[in-house]
Amino acid sequence: MPKIPAPSDEEVLERLEKLAQKILKMVEKGNPPYLEIPVRTLSNTIWDEEKKILRLGPQKAIREFFDLKESKKFMQTLLMLSLIVKARRENDYPTIRDLYYMGKHTIAYRDHLGRKCTEETWYDQRESNSVIQDIEVSTGLLREHMGIMHDAKGKIVGNIVVRSKGYLIDCSKMGSGAYAIPPNPDRLEIVKVEADYVLCVEKDAIFERLNEEEYWRRENCILVTGKGQPDRSTRRMIRRLWEEFGLPVYILTDCDSYGFYIYSVYRSGSISLSYESERLATPGAKFIGVTVTDIEEYKIPKNYIIAATERDLKRAQELLNYPWFKSEKWQRELKLFLKKKQKIEIEALSGHGFKFLSHVYLPEKISKKKWIE
Amino acid sequence: MPITDEALLREYKGLSPAEFFYRNKEIAGFSNPTRAVYQTIRELVENALDATELYRILPDIKILVNTYENNGTELVEITVEDNGIGIPRHEVPNVFGRVFYGSKYKLRQSRGVFGLGVKMAVLYAQITTGKPIFVRSSTPYSCSIYEYEILIDITSNRPIVLNHKVYRKEKRWHGTVVRLTIQGNWPSARRRVEEYIRRTAMITPYANIYFKAPDLEISFKRVTRKLPALPSESKPHPHGVDLEMLKAMISSLKEDLTLKEFLMTNFDSIGETTAEAFCKWAGFSPSIKVKKLDLNDLTLLMSKMKEYDKWRRPRGKALSPLGSDLLKKGIEETLKPEFVTAVTRKPSSYAGNPFIVEVALAWGGNIPAVEKPLLFRFANKIPLLYDEGADVCRKIVDSIDWSYYKVKFPAPLAVVVHVCSTKLPFKGVGKEAIADVEEIEKEIENAIKEAARRLRSHIIKIEKIYELQKKKVTFEKYIPEVARALSEICRVEEEYIKEKLIAIMEKVLMKSSKGREEVIVYAKDTSSK
Repeated sequence: MPKIPAPSDEEVLERLEKLAQKILKMVEKGNPPYLEIPVRTLSNTIWDEEKKILRLGPQKAIREFFDLKESKKFMQTLLMLSLIVKARRENDYPTIRDLYYMGKHTIAYRDHLGRKCTEETWYDQRESNSVIQDIEVSTGLLREHMGIMHDAKGKIVGNIVVRSKGYLIDCSKMGSGAYAIPPNPDRLEIVKVEADYVLCVEKDAIFERLNEEEYWRRENCILVTGKGQPDRSTRRMIRRLWEEFGLPVYILTDCDSYGFYIYSVYRSGSISLSYESERLATPGAKFIGVTVTDIEEYKIPKNYIIAATERDLKRAQELLNYPWFKSEKWQRELKLFLKKKQKIEIEALSGHGFKFLSHVYLPEKISKKKWIE
Repeated sequence: MPITDEALLREYKGLSPAEFFYRNKEIAGFSNPTRAVYQTIRELVENALDATELYRILPDIKILVNTYENNGTELVEITVEDNGIGIPRHEVPNVFGRVFYGSKYKLRQSRGVFGLGVKMAVLYAQITTGKPIFVRSSTPYSCSIYEYEILIDITSNRPIVLNHKVYRKEKRWHGTVVRLTIQGNWPSARRRVEEYIRRTAMITPYANIYFKAPDLEISFKRVTRKLPALPSESKPHPHGVDLEMLKAMISSLKEDLTLKEFLMTNFDSIGETTAEAFCKWAGFSPSIKVKKLDLNDLTLLMSKMKEYDKWRRPRGKALSPLGSDLLKKGIEETLKPEFVTAVTRKPSSYAGNPFIVEVALAWGGNIPAVEKPLLFRFANKIPLLYDEGADVCRKIVDSIDWSYYKVKFPAPLAVVVHVCSTKLPFKGVGKEAIADVEEIEKEIENAIKEAARRLRSHIIKIEKIYELQKKKVTFEKYIPEVARALSEICRVEEEYIKEKLIAIMEKVLMKSSKGREEVIVYAKDTSSK
């Protein structure tokens, strides 16, 4: 799979300015200005069977300024665009929260009955985040390219050495801690990787435990966590390790519909960010557990088994219909889940002792290739 | 009916009518010093309006209220002046000083029928202050002006003239001035009186009304010189007959008539064929002389007349509705709404009495937004102020699903209902609430619904205008933001972009109003305020 080169800073600025120039041209010609934005919903998400990733479909929505329902979003999009352009010109790296505050101000006006009113440009960071995504899909630029930061929550530890801003960081020398994956992992230079695989665990607590035991040293692997639903930088880091170093990637989550979906986000991409799958998804990622089959196979003690909720079952039903869950093994797993209506956490494996996970379960799963794709 | 009633009162109670009313003053609306002020003004104003309007004179009514104290009691002096037909000189004492005087046997709509109210006011003044009524009057053809001061002799029901003066008429004045001094509470009556004057102005847009009290001055100029069509006098309808009325009609006959002749000449809408058909149906001989009928015969005749269902319906020619145009004018002038629509229904009848319902709906403008519609009730052009909760109009207005007509409360909605009839069905003795009579109820409801449909179209139109204005406000709100962003990114003059955007907006709004110019004009008007 070819690597996708990141655009240069000049190119980024040029593409952002071009979007505004297009609007200005419409205005100068006396035409109602509009933005053309690819739709970011399930209906416009396409499963790329060949590449095994989710992609953004061809649907585009017209966001017209002189349309009552779209007017504010149009204004917000241009407001955000101006903030990003300004940051690029001044070589600033704002976070998405910074951008929210930079753009937030009060508009005073009179309503149709002449009453004095005020309105905020946006009330909630979800609004500003949403227009950032719109700008990403409209320009084909990722926010990492635009120098926009976020609270990165991913952690990595193991036999890997990276260079960041000139400093060498050896992730096998973090003691009880771990290296925090930065917002834009593309700016990291991966200097050395001496590992057999990448193990990515859903939960921070499990990550801490495995790190404390130095599981990665014994198993010669790289240990990563995205702390639940992974952010973009964690996914990008995993993708790079798989793509650039050919490392196998194993995903360990709770045994429930949400755990299964987290796996699919690592592997295929997410619905709301399908436009980034090319860069973020790791189509080679394998689900190592915990599976529904494991409940019986590993004789999980009854007190660790939880009854699945209505929401779990509904979500599992949805997964069953997603094209990227159509493999024989997944269909069997999901149907079993729907049938048994049982779920367990990774911690349930401790029913056989604290070392069971690291000394028995994981090595056995990997060596015997007991995973699901 | 008056003559008979007077006889009855003598016969059964041994009381003169004056004495009877003296003892039952609550019935006539003089129950307390507050109500007495309101009632006195009302009686005098209504007489003044009848004295003008029924004679095709455009009314000029002046009402003056003065207050002063006498030995710790508050006295209210009320003067009402009109430019009406005047009262013939020799009639004045009886008109004001004798209860049940001058009643005629014809039916037509007017405010007061027998002038009873004003005599109650005279009696009330007499018992609370001892002061006589002062009257100055002149008819158009009289060459003198005459003044009287009159009291009523309560036991004999006769006028006592205390003072009488006659002047040569210098100018061509005609009309009547009446002044009464009563014990009353002006401060607490003030609000009702003011409301009464305003509502009177609403229902008489062709009148000049001037009101002055120590702490209140209101003036309504006439907004039209058009008077409502005059009601013609009509005979009673057989469905509306009662025993006393039948007895009185027969006893006042100069010659003895046969039943058929009596029916044909004394009732509305009865021809020869109908009279004969009725007699046959009721089992009376058409040729029997009516003066020969005894009480039993008369009772049977009356009930048969009420029961017979083949009479022609009573006609509305005895009625004088205001008409939708005048009603609208009156409301526009007094409520100053943004929109008003009025409906005058065709004549209808209940129990032999013709009636007409008029309804107007006023919307917006100076009308405050209220939780349920404001209601203005009128009966024979008299405003009804008390007992609104008991009135059939309130019941109907509250039962209507206004949301169907696009009215969302609180809303600036006023409902005006005018019922005119030769005989109005009132609830209770106060004559302030119209009773639940099915036929009237139906007419009022239909009239309100008809008007409400027009209101609905208006509200829909206004909502479209609002929608357009809201669009404009929204775009105008965001244009500076968009202009600033584009200006910053593209390094183009902000003002230049703003102007361009505004020009595009005007174009877009014009298009979405689909060429409805009134809408555009309205939208521009209100936004520039």
